[in-house]
Amino acid sequence: MNNSLIIGQYVPGNSIIHRLDPRTKITIIFSFVIFVFFANSVPSYGILTLFAIITTLVTRIPLRYILKGLTPVWFLIVFTFILHIFVTKEGSVLFEVLTLEIYSGGVIQGLAISLRFFLLILITSLLTLTTTPIEITDAIEDMLYPLNKVKFPVHELALMMSISLRFIPTLMQETEKISKAQASRGVDFRTGPFKERIKAVVPLLVPLFVSAFKRAEELAMAMEARGYQGGEGRSKLRQLKIETRDVFVYILFTCVIIGLFLTRTY
Amino acid sequence: MDITFNNVNYIYQENSPFAHKALENLSFHIPSGSFVAIVGHTGSGKSTLIQHLNGLIRPTKGEVRIGDYRLTHADKPKNLKELRSRVGVVFQYPEHQLFDETVEKDISFGPKNFGVMDREIRKRIQEVIPAVGLSEELLERSPFELSGGQMRRVAIAGVLAVKPEILVLDEPTAGLDPRGQKEIMEMFYSLHQEEQLTTVLVTHSMEDAVKYADQVIILNKGSKYMEGKPEDVFTQQEALNKVQLDVPEMIEFLYAFEQRFGKAIPFKRQSIEQLADQVYQSLKEAGVDE
Repeated sequence: MNNSLIIGQYVPGNSIIHRLDPRTKITIIFSFVIFVFFANSVPSYGILTLFAIITTLVTRIPLRYILKGLTPVWFLIVFTFILHIFVTKEGSVLFEVLTLEIYSGGVIQGLAISLRFFLLILITSLLTLTTTPIEITDAIEDMLYPLNKVKFPVHELALMMSISLRFIPTLMQETEKISKAQASRGVDFRTGPFKERIKAVVPLLVPLFVSAFKRAEELAMAMEARGYQGGEGRSKLRQLKIETRDVFVYILFTCVIIGLFLTRTY
Repeated sequence: MDITFNNVNYIYQENSPFAHKALENLSFHIPSGSFVAIVGHTGSGKSTLIQHLNGLIRPTKGEVRIGDYRLTHADKPKNLKELRSRVGVVFQYPEHQLFDETVEKDISFGPKNFGVMDREIRKRIQEVIPAVGLSEELLERSPFELSGGQMRRVAIAGVLAVKPEILVLDEPTAGLDPRGQKEIMEMFYSLHQEEQLTTVLVTHSMEDAVKYADQVIILNKGSKYMEGKPEDVFTQQEALNKVQLDVPEMIEFLYAFEQRFGKAIPFKRQSIEQLADQVYQSLKEAGVDE
């Protein structure tokens, strides 16, 4: 299994962020993503960064774990920074590397874009780090509910989502199990010419598909046997409820946004 | 090849909130040619242990030796493929690894990967098919058309066709009917005897462990809990119950017998028939009416 990437991973915990209503989290994170693009001055970036960092600390998820998990993303951030340094030709020339002139505008823009990028990824990964997939699905179903009026199958969509989320770990386990079994039979997935490695995937994919189809069929049968008929008239086991802490977080976030608009330059 | 574990520790997802210790200071020795049963409750680390045996995973700390191959955290043997050809592993539900168009191709898959010549592979298939109790007519069929029991046998044949020196079995009879279970275990046992295969059997079945193993290792929470000959280990009812294991039925019977009649019959891995004789003799001596 790939342990280095944490996007999509849930880390159990009991912090206030964990206990927030998932709808609150989705709303705030979605608006944060939009408002990041409004920041254009040092204090406005500072406010957003502070908000993101404090939120991260409040989750009590080890900082080292989060940063290590974002390793693949670091590469992208650094790459964006370098690209901006070389491409943007604004402001004064700072110095020259070989024949390329580095402009101050380039450095500033590179820093800004990289920071924006980092904030986006940090805050969105906090959503999945502190919210179980089931909660996210429930929240999405609830938030899309108005679309029911235009005959959009919200419940079915949510069901599809939760089933696929539910089976991602199962499929990963299965992949690992079968690849180990085939490795024991002498398959080498890691070395050798590219063509050989592509061929080595066949003994992995065929059993995976076979078991995925079998599982889907069994699941459908089990659901039917238990009288599942779709969303109509179905009550919920997990009721979503807005608590005081959600209101508190909304107010806090509004303050942050007001602060952002007061400090940005026009 | 001998198998030696020296203070082996294995931690899943080290340095993350999910870190989980699967093996802790595990040491044991399995001499070449013996039949060892590894018994333990779910989650005791049996499957993790097995994966060390052919280098699928390496210990986080400590050392594993299999013959001349040495596995530690830092170095993996260069000839890992060779190790895997000499240690055959039958995983739990091995039928899940079948993929090829025909049974024959699937059985040849392993040997082919390890560079066995086509002629030799055909010869091995001829040997292996009757050994696992399949008929040759099945060779041209698709493995996915077969019954669950037959698929299991095909998968086992695929491992045997590699001709390993060590055979590792992870609950090979799970989910089979009682007759299939017995047939498959008997087959592994005769292979062990005829070819001097070192056999490592992971099992939940105390009955199988008593019947076939020369040595039993009991795992609990990733550590060795008990080790010894089956007749010594399985007679310690209290210790076994402590780790949620039961003693084999036969030993349970001997206990009950002793309590009821005040006569002890020592457990020496006798067969059911021998035991029945002993019970008869013992009752006769005691003068119990028939």
